Amino acid sequence: MKHLIILSTLLFSVYLNAQTNYEKGMQKAFGLWQTNETVEASNLFERIAGAESDNWLPPYYAAQINITSSFGERDKEKLTQKLNKAQDLINDATAISKDNPEIMVLQALLHTAWVAFDGATYGMTLSPKVVELYTKAAQIDPNNPRVAYCKAEWDMGSAKYFGQDTAPFCKDMERSIELFANFKPETPFHPNWGKERAEQVLESCTK
Amino acid sequence: MSSSKKIKLYIMKKLAILLILIFVSHVQGQTVINGVVLNEKKEPIVGANIYLEGTYDGGSTGANGVFSFTTTEAGTQTLLVSFLSYESFTMVGDVSYMKDIEVKLKPDVNTLDAVVLSAGTFSAGDNSKVNVLNPLDVVTTASALGDFVGALQTLPGTTTVAEDGRLFVRGGDADETQIFIDGIRVFSPYTPTTNNIPSRGRYSPFLFDGITFSTGGYSAEYGQALSSVLLLNTIDEPDQEKTDIGIMSVGGALGNTQKWEKSSISVNASYINLAPYIALFPDRNDWIKPYEMASGETVFRKKTNAGLIKLYAAFDATNFELIQEDINFEEGLRYKLNNNNLYVNGSYQGVLNSQWSIFGGGSYTRANNKQGVMDQKIYSIDNAFHAKLKLKNRVSNRFKLYMGVEFFSTDFEETYGNDLIEDLDYGYQDNMVAAFTEADIFISKNLAFKAGIRGEYSSVFKDFTLAPRLSLASKISSKSQLSLAYGNFYQNPSSNILKFTQDVKSQNTTHYILNYQYNAERRIFRAEAYYKDYNDLIKYDEEFPSFSSDFSNAGYGYAKGVDLFWRDSYSIKNFDYWLSYSFLDTERDYKNYPAQGQPNFANKHNLSVVGKYWIDKWRSQVGFAYSFASGRTYTNPNESGFLNEKTKPYNSLSLNWAYLISPQKILYASVNNALGFKNINGYQYANTPDMNGDFARRALQPAADQFFFVGFFWTISDDKKSNQLDNL
Repeated sequence: MKHLIILSTLLFSVYLNAQTNYEKGMQKAFGLWQTNETVEASNLFERIAGAESDNWLPPYYAAQINITSSFGERDKEKLTQKLNKAQDLINDATAISKDNPEIMVLQALLHTAWVAFDGATYGMTLSPKVVELYTKAAQIDPNNPRVAYCKAEWDMGSAKYFGQDTAPFCKDMERSIELFANFKPETPFHPNWGKERAEQVLESCTK
Repeated sequence: MSSSKKIKLYIMKKLAILLILIFVSHVQGQTVINGVVLNEKKEPIVGANIYLEGTYDGGSTGANGVFSFTTTEAGTQTLLVSFLSYESFTMVGDVSYMKDIEVKLKPDVNTLDAVVLSAGTFSAGDNSKVNVLNPLDVVTTASALGDFVGALQTLPGTTTVAEDGRLFVRGGDADETQIFIDGIRVFSPYTPTTNNIPSRGRYSPFLFDGITFSTGGYSAEYGQALSSVLLLNTIDEPDQEKTDIGIMSVGGALGNTQKWEKSSISVNASYINLAPYIALFPDRNDWIKPYEMASGETVFRKKTNAGLIKLYAAFDATNFELIQEDINFEEGLRYKLNNNNLYVNGSYQGVLNSQWSIFGGGSYTRANNKQGVMDQKIYSIDNAFHAKLKLKNRVSNRFKLYMGVEFFSTDFEETYGNDLIEDLDYGYQDNMVAAFTEADIFISKNLAFKAGIRGEYSSVFKDFTLAPRLSLASKISSKSQLSLAYGNFYQNPSSNILKFTQDVKSQNTTHYILNYQYNAERRIFRAEAYYKDYNDLIKYDEEFPSFSSDFSNAGYGYAKGVDLFWRDSYSIKNFDYWLSYSFLDTERDYKNYPAQGQPNFANKHNLSVVGKYWIDKWRSQVGFAYSFASGRTYTNPNESGFLNEKTKPYNSLSLNWAYLISPQKILYASVNNALGFKNINGYQYANTPDMNGDFARRALQPAADQFFFVGFFWTISDDKKSNQLDNL
């Protein structure tokens, strides 16, 4: 009987080991990302995406790295490469998980990257798409803090552009922070970013 | 041994095996895979992703392109190496042999900096590599008045024929340009109009998100066009649900878009009536019934698992009646028009598997035209049908094959009548089949070919034509490329000829094009030199074609010239401008010409300058468009010779102003020919000389020198942000 327990423990740990491959990989990728080794982090997320073909998180993060690192990029060629790659990854993630508000937020951010790069060229065509994505995401998950925060930040940007009052959107931002406080990600690897930035934006609001 | 001991032993044995197994797999985990990743020039690639497919094992290359990682896998595995803008590399083999590998990545020929097959084409789209205009430009160009054809007339290769409004490309007549919506032919693309009022594109620009304007050397997919093709693509998926309201000085427009999970529908209606405008600003025409047009359009789109279905339908009805000054009729020339046009277009495009994709579509046009000229009536009904099936085989990233078949059918009927004779009915029917095949071959990122051939058979004159097309593009520096294009183009004579005789054959041209393109950050420069050789053009021996005319294909001609284009939205903040210049040298002998001459729709020099400036503080975009065109030829019968004189040059400066009252409300105003240049398009001479033996003449002037437009556009949508700036 004792041996049976040992055996089952052993077998279980083998099973656990198989599980933690994913966890180890994800942890390592997040570690690389935190130490600003974005290329390595994105590569690793892509590798995990290849191995975990029914998990939307690895392509989601690989896309996110490419999008966030493209903000501020002035070379159109490099920007296009990064954003096209991010778009492919978002498409992969969407194919795994449809109507996912987190992925919609990422898609909206990708469009925002184009608008930020060249508002005159991309603003008119992509802005409605961004708004549509946020509207749809909010319908699906009204309590998702990232949807609320990203939408509020976008609205503030547009209001500033049109010389309108940004105050109403500060309230939206406040609401997003409340949502952040109550938000619990499904697993430690599910999206849980944005709170710090939302607080920063809100601070600039109240000044 | 007791049974419990037996079990114990059994378990011990199994445990041992298990432990060994775990141990073995652990030992196998020590396989090291290493090597270096280089580009074509043997320079290291930094940051490439290397991994065994389907596993967690992999790494990235460091500063010197070197990588190394360990794997727990054994046996045959697939090693994948990928990096932005390079083709992925795959290697299948036993992991134990994956040591000190040298991987050479080939540049991906689909990247932004790769060479593009672009000789002769201007594209307007979001992320197209050969972008010259973006969709917004079509509607914010001052002189265009919301007409996509008007915007294209600011591009080089077009000539200013102010009273006509259609596209005249590189010495070609207007009907040498064909227009396609979603790859399917449009048989009557322009609104009907009369002598001194330019016609417009029939279809509203805001249903399209891609426009490709080719001024020569185009793909074998397109035929029946001697000079040019204009390809319009309808929007695949609208951004959002919305309602658009437009109130204009000349009418009103209403649009609505609805979206569902997989499908969407857009509906547009507009009504134009020039009566109030003409009451305020009378023009040179004596209007009995001012211009009135009602139109409606709808697009339905549905996504399927592996494709997209689109249905487009448009209907419009136009009528007007007027008396125009005429040198031969003291009381003027009375003209009446009643036109109905229905256009339906449906298409499906989809992916069959990883290599093959398919496109199929068809269109039906019914154009019903009732004209009254003095006491004569000319009624015509044109039924036209086009179907196309196209397959694409993506053999590899570097080799793509296209093939397709097309069917065109035209049934034209006309009735002519006047007070003296009984009604006369005539017409013709033409069925035509065409097949084409074409290959895109990328030798490298810097060198590419497109080679194709198109065959057409027409039932009217039982004639088979074969047209080869070839183009080549070579990148000569990181920002510039050279292209060459050659092609044969055939086109059946127009219905104006075929309704009287079918004993003719296809007309043809040969194009030779040399193109240089420089593409930098939001700046583009293009220079294109071309030569066109026209053959088998239709000739007839009377002033107007009729049943008694003698027709032949003895006409010929040439056109050569240089087109220059420069656009810059980079150098000056918030200011975007472009310059187009075309030099054209052309002569032809066709139609009723007694000799070879420079046709009156082709002038030597055309210059266009368009600018747009966004003023943040005023939330306004102000724009201007200036065009200059050297004089056009006409025949002065008081002197000897044919097309022996030229008009004075044409000048026009248009201004526009779009003001965002709020994000969803726009006030728009524009004035065409703001400086009021008195332009003359040509002269009409009397049919008979006066007492002194001189032929009297009359200047052909536009109906009005200037045109004013004011509109208010309001968009209602959930986001409260989008507007119709892209409608204007």
